[in-house]
Amino acid sequence: MRINFTQNVGRGRLYRMLPVCLLMLCFLNAAAQQLISGRITDPSLGNGLQGVNVQVKGTTAATMSDAEGNYTIEAKPGDILEFSLAGYTMQEMPVGNSTRIDVGLEEDISSLAALLDVVLVGYGELKRIDLSSAQSSIDVDAINYTFNTTIEQALQGRAAGVYVTQNSGQPGGSVSVNIRGINSVNGSNEPLYVIDGVQIAPGTVPFGATSSADPLAGINPADIDNIEVLQGPSATAIYGSRGTNGVILITTKRGKAGEVKVHYGFQYGLQNTPKQLPVLNLREYAQLRLDQNAMDGIASPVAFQDPAALGTGTNWQKELYKTAPLMKHQLSLSGGREETTFYLSGEYLNQNGIITGSGFDRGSLRLNIDNQTRKWLKLGATLNVSQTDDKLTATNENVVLNALRIAPNVAVKNLDGSWGGADAINEDNVQFTPPNPVAISNLIQNKYRRRQMLGGVNADIDLGKGFTFTTSVNGNFGTGNSVYFMPMYTLGEQTNEVASLTSTDVTSTYWNWNQLLKYTRNFGVHELSIMASHEAQVAQAKTLSGTRVGFVTSNVLDLNVGDSGASTNDSHQSVWAMESYFSRVNYIFNKKYLVQLAMRADGSSNFGAGNRWGIFPSGSAAWRISEEPFMKSIPTISELKLRAEAGVTGNQGNGGTYTPMSPVSSPWGSGFITSQYGNNTLKWEQTTTYNVGFNLGLLSDRIHIEGDFYIKKTNNLLMTNPIPDYMGTTGNGSIIAPTENISALENRGYSFTVNTVNMDQQGFTWKTGFNISGFRTKITKLYSNSAIVDRVSWYMNNFTQRAVVGQSPWQFYGYQEEGIFQSVADINASAVPLGTDGNRLPAATNGVWVGDTKFKDVNGDGVINEKDRTFIGNPFPKFFFGMTNTFTYKGFDLNVFITGSYGNDIYNYARYAGSNQANVNLGLNVFREDLNYARIGTDTEGNPYVENAGTNIPRLSTNANGNNIRITNRFVEDGSYVRLKNVQLGYTIPKALIARQRFVNDIHVAIGAQNLATLTHYKGYDPEVGAYVGSNVAAGNQAIGVDYGRYPLTPVYTFSIQVEL
Amino acid sequence: MKKIYMTCRSVAVLLLGFIVISCQESFLDREPLDTVTNEDFYQTSEQVLAATAPLYNIVWYDYNTSASYGIGDARGGAMTSIANQMDNILFRTNGATEENSNAWHSLFNVIGQANAVINDIATYTSASVPESTKQYATAEARFMRGLAYSYLVQNWGAVPIITNNAALLQDTSITRNTVETVWEFVIRDIRYAAKTLPTAAAAEGRLTKYAAQGMLAKMFLTRAGISGTRSESDLDSAAYYAKQVINNSGATLLTDYEELFKMKNNNNSEGLVALQWIYNGTWGTQNSVQSYLAYSSDITSFSDGWGGDLGASYYLLEKYVSNDKRRKATFMYPGDHYSYIHQKTKNAAGDDIVQELHVPQNNGSNSTRAWIKKYVVGRPEDNDGKVLYQRTGINTYMLRLADVYLVYAEAILGTQSSTSDGEALKYFNAVRLRAGLTAVTSITWDDIFEERALEFAMEGQLWYDFVRLHYYDPEKAYTMLSNQERGYYTITPVYRNGDAQTYPDPIDWTVAVTLSQKITASASNFIIPIPTTELERAPNLKKEPVPYVFD
Repeated sequence: MRINFTQNVGRGRLYRMLPVCLLMLCFLNAAAQQLISGRITDPSLGNGLQGVNVQVKGTTAATMSDAEGNYTIEAKPGDILEFSLAGYTMQEMPVGNSTRIDVGLEEDISSLAALLDVVLVGYGELKRIDLSSAQSSIDVDAINYTFNTTIEQALQGRAAGVYVTQNSGQPGGSVSVNIRGINSVNGSNEPLYVIDGVQIAPGTVPFGATSSADPLAGINPADIDNIEVLQGPSATAIYGSRGTNGVILITTKRGKAGEVKVHYGFQYGLQNTPKQLPVLNLREYAQLRLDQNAMDGIASPVAFQDPAALGTGTNWQKELYKTAPLMKHQLSLSGGREETTFYLSGEYLNQNGIITGSGFDRGSLRLNIDNQTRKWLKLGATLNVSQTDDKLTATNENVVLNALRIAPNVAVKNLDGSWGGADAINEDNVQFTPPNPVAISNLIQNKYRRRQMLGGVNADIDLGKGFTFTTSVNGNFGTGNSVYFMPMYTLGEQTNEVASLTSTDVTSTYWNWNQLLKYTRNFGVHELSIMASHEAQVAQAKTLSGTRVGFVTSNVLDLNVGDSGASTNDSHQSVWAMESYFSRVNYIFNKKYLVQLAMRADGSSNFGAGNRWGIFPSGSAAWRISEEPFMKSIPTISELKLRAEAGVTGNQGNGGTYTPMSPVSSPWGSGFITSQYGNNTLKWEQTTTYNVGFNLGLLSDRIHIEGDFYIKKTNNLLMTNPIPDYMGTTGNGSIIAPTENISALENRGYSFTVNTVNMDQQGFTWKTGFNISGFRTKITKLYSNSAIVDRVSWYMNNFTQRAVVGQSPWQFYGYQEEGIFQSVADINASAVPLGTDGNRLPAATNGVWVGDTKFKDVNGDGVINEKDRTFIGNPFPKFFFGMTNTFTYKGFDLNVFITGSYGNDIYNYARYAGSNQANVNLGLNVFREDLNYARIGTDTEGNPYVENAGTNIPRLSTNANGNNIRITNRFVEDGSYVRLKNVQLGYTIPKALIARQRFVNDIHVAIGAQNLATLTHYKGYDPEVGAYVGSNVAAGNQAIGVDYGRYPLTPVYTFSIQVEL
Repeated sequence: MKKIYMTCRSVAVLLLGFIVISCQESFLDREPLDTVTNEDFYQTSEQVLAATAPLYNIVWYDYNTSASYGIGDARGGAMTSIANQMDNILFRTNGATEENSNAWHSLFNVIGQANAVINDIATYTSASVPESTKQYATAEARFMRGLAYSYLVQNWGAVPIITNNAALLQDTSITRNTVETVWEFVIRDIRYAAKTLPTAAAAEGRLTKYAAQGMLAKMFLTRAGISGTRSESDLDSAAYYAKQVINNSGATLLTDYEELFKMKNNNNSEGLVALQWIYNGTWGTQNSVQSYLAYSSDITSFSDGWGGDLGASYYLLEKYVSNDKRRKATFMYPGDHYSYIHQKTKNAAGDDIVQELHVPQNNGSNSTRAWIKKYVVGRPEDNDGKVLYQRTGINTYMLRLADVYLVYAEAILGTQSSTSDGEALKYFNAVRLRAGLTAVTSITWDDIFEERALEFAMEGQLWYDFVRLHYYDPEKAYTMLSNQERGYYTITPVYRNGDAQTYPDPIDWTVAVTLSQKITASASNFIIPIPTTELERAPNLKKEPVPYVFD
């Protein structure tokens, strides 16, 4: 960026400066008083306490202690100072003639006392009681009870309004995080993460080999000090165009002055295998094959003719899964002198997967330094360097589904030790038999190594008179290398004779420079804080990939070893830049009435010159009713606050103003093709949110309840217009439809959080945290009322999820079953498919017969065809919740964490795929439930009937009717679940026992179990399905809530030890 | 007072500070880094021609990959299966059939890209680009657009004519145009190309005047019947343009039919219009049909070759006389030997070996297949390495001289029951003689139809030959289709002296139907339903078609 020192202030700039001009308010100046300073410490530890509220009793004059516990306040000699901090007993000190008052605050473990916490908000911090917008804090201590490979995993069930699903159970696998509903139809719904000031917005899923990796994998969860989830419009709108999907603020640990603390933690765990799903064993498989072949009138292979003589064959699930270890070392040092403090930590995490070809490794190093350079200047730096290694074969090659589908007669390994595979016993149909999943997960190498450097420096300048100026430069630099190697292999009759290697390098850079001016001052009963800021940020990414074939060795994975003659390569680059001006005013009157007004102006390079700037205003107000005199008479109510807020957030999308020409190969050199229609009128997407909420504290805050209700209306939704195919906008060589601002959608929802101290006596405490939330998304407008946005998974028999106006997006689309035909009369009275002659299929064994599936004639035309498809399920839950119970007694602590989801549907594609009995002829297994296929008998009057009445599995047939082939509601299952996510029992070794030596201060040991039990009706492995991240995924076309054979989450048993030196 | 002044002054200073650190206006100007934009393109002749080059491959990819033979051969009755392409084979192509939507959107992609080029050339071309280049590129685009519309009108009947997509993107009122006006649009586009294009191509494989004339002849021949009786003037035009090509183009038939379908013979003397694929190019610029048609990965060397279930229909097989050289170039019979394609197999000791292809006996459970050979080029080593997974570089013929010969014969025959016209016989017999058959002295419509079926099997043609017939004699088309045997059969080699061991190369084959399967054709089969999702999102397509108003 070039800095322009000379440019005059133009008209355009003036209105952007408007928020800053709020500062032009000139302030009343308070009368001079005696200046008092001092330091507040925790006597048990000796360290300074940060964020202690120091207040002149009976007035609103107050200040906060800094990181070292120092404070300064003006007061009169007759005043009394109140020192309060969450978790500590409040203390009062008379001022007298002192100018220095040092205080030691005793820890108060009997109260939640969280209200006086200072919490992070966008570009600043506030006391929790002064919040007027909806935001939830995540209890970082509670997170540490669970084993989290990546930070998003830690969010699940911890905060109301945050819906988290793990897309793949593979170690380090990607996670979907939705805050307050679905905000985009074909863009990303992931929130903005702000990690120590670095803004990271995970985009849409990357295509291909790395689609199941997690973009935030480089962050060590153990370094996290605080997580705040900004949800309300007044809180998120300060991030303007980046805040629509919610904002997750993360700060990492920083050092405190005092003796250097050394902390070492070690965790070891064993990941269990999942409970096996019921598929046929070899005997059952052979029998079904005999039955099917008898029905078809063809001979069965000799090998299957005597099922009783066969064993149970290969148990593919047993072969695929194996118990796998995980472990993590974490070492941190923190401390420093008064003027310089640091936090240094290093981590090594190694998690093997329960399937070969999955796994995750991370090494990371963090250094956070703070320095009080001058009395008026404070410098800080953060640096995080990490390397992660993902193994992505298992998810990418779909081995879970293949293990469920491959026939039990195929051997994992042959007698000679070579890999087994479909062979001649399946005759000419080997092409339909899945490749040996155990072999594939061993043979194909899909590795993804990322290195990331994330950090920044900042300077705080105290300008005096309540003014502070902060400037910070933050950056995120990352490289990624994906290596996908397909070796030569022979799996029975399936072979790959040419080895190929694709190597892809990605480099991404992001920087952000912010300058922020803050003014904070209290005037009697008025508390005022004003902030104004300017920010510039640029993100760039570059991808280079190459492929060669003809590798003769699997030992060296480098393109250089391949055949240079047959090589392909590709590269891409992208960039966006944004400049912003924003300002916020917080005003509190008499501690009762809280007002926050904010405005942000964002200019984005993704729009044409005339539409670049978007204005995002917001405002909130809160009334602390509990501070009113008439409420003081109700002692049970310790806190009652009503909040109302409204605000606008935006989305800059991914560009689309230009009409790009992309190169495509031709015999005459590069040809150029129009790749997307440009739209030079493109402008900001706008989401207007209204939110009302309350905070209620009862019984000295032993019970704290927080509730919020919101409506989010998104207009000018940035999306690729779902125009008809006749515009030439679908498939290879198409011109992608333009990005338009035509559509709109709406989210309505609620969230509740309840925190209670159930018991706190005789050293026994029991605390509960519970949160529950729900949302409903509705598309309110597309470019035409008949417009349809489909997500079609061609790799899953064209499974379709559809979004239309007036409905929740991405509902499953398919046929409805109405049982099976019970009699010929039933057939004749029902709609059936048409035959090749255009007439109804006859009621006959080679047409539609008793025992065939009866599909619902949705459009009532008497014919079953694709026009009878309808909405058959919704992947989004009605509500979801999380509950933590923490018990402590003496040195023991027990933490029990439960998560759940209710009312979401899952399309069990794995069960659908394994439902067609005829597939046994193709080397494909089926689920055991299919043995209960309709047996057709003939009654005394010669009429056919279903012998095993009540079954809904159709008969064996030549399948003119389309039994088991159509996508139907039979495979839509209730995805509700309650999961015992984590149980951990810990013990702190009594000080007395370790007092004799001088090396170790503290030892905590714990055993835990994660994903221990799940209550659900879902028939697959795991009801937590998330979004599809297999090899065929494309951005904006991810199947959601479809179990395609998702890598399941399984129980993990952990042991951990934490030692403090 | 002074304090307030001081405060205001410091605020003013800080405000100034913000202004100073503001970014330059150009900070937010970020053009795409990895693509050029249409406004900056079209500055040189090379760029203008680069914009029409993709019209020869990627835009046709989705049609070529499954629909060309799914509609052209499976619907037409030349290809059969028991598992793949069943909607087309069993004549129940519907609104959800994959090949239907693939063809629909792919053909409209051709049109969309052609329109973009035509309009962008008119809008953005630099003045330094010669007019002749602009005309050449425009003619190429109009040719491709016309060709795409010809497939659309033959499959779906009335379809919307769109000439400026960019202007109509938001238009929800688009309706279909009548079959007559779509055909008129096709003729105008291709006639423009025939008039405008020079006799020499801008580069090998690009269009020439003769390519356009040949296609125009075929278009006239087909359009001749749309009123229900064949238009003499259209037939005359067909004969005229065909003769122009025959006399002037310099194109000649390849001596050996089998040579037509080798990658090394791309852009040979017989080809007039061909899609130009690149085996290792951008995805979508390669020919992927081998993956779908080859009977096994044994002959592709990659894990593709999914065509084990596909084969010639019995209907077609019984038309081949045993000395027809086209059979082996089109379909593989068990025991056939191809020296230029290799297969992976096991030797007597059970070790993997790669050898010249000896087509194995296909021991399917209740039928065998005459596997597909045409456009199956084999393994990398058979093609100078130019084969990858799902990728070959063999061009797809859209028009070759043999087609123009037969179009000419059919145009000359016209509405007569037979002809002995010397010129018609000359070119008709040229096709037969090349195939190893004997010359005839008189030809009927049925002779030409049969000849076309054998000559162009697996080139996606047969269905369109039925469409041409159906325009003016629907009953005959229904009868012919309904009599086609599309069922299962077994094909058994006959060895010399009955001895497969000593004389491994079969001398003949016996083909026997094991399960008869016939379809009932009717008028509704000649209008493929518009893909259901398309109809749902564009309900105006259900309205009665209106005539297209030409400028």
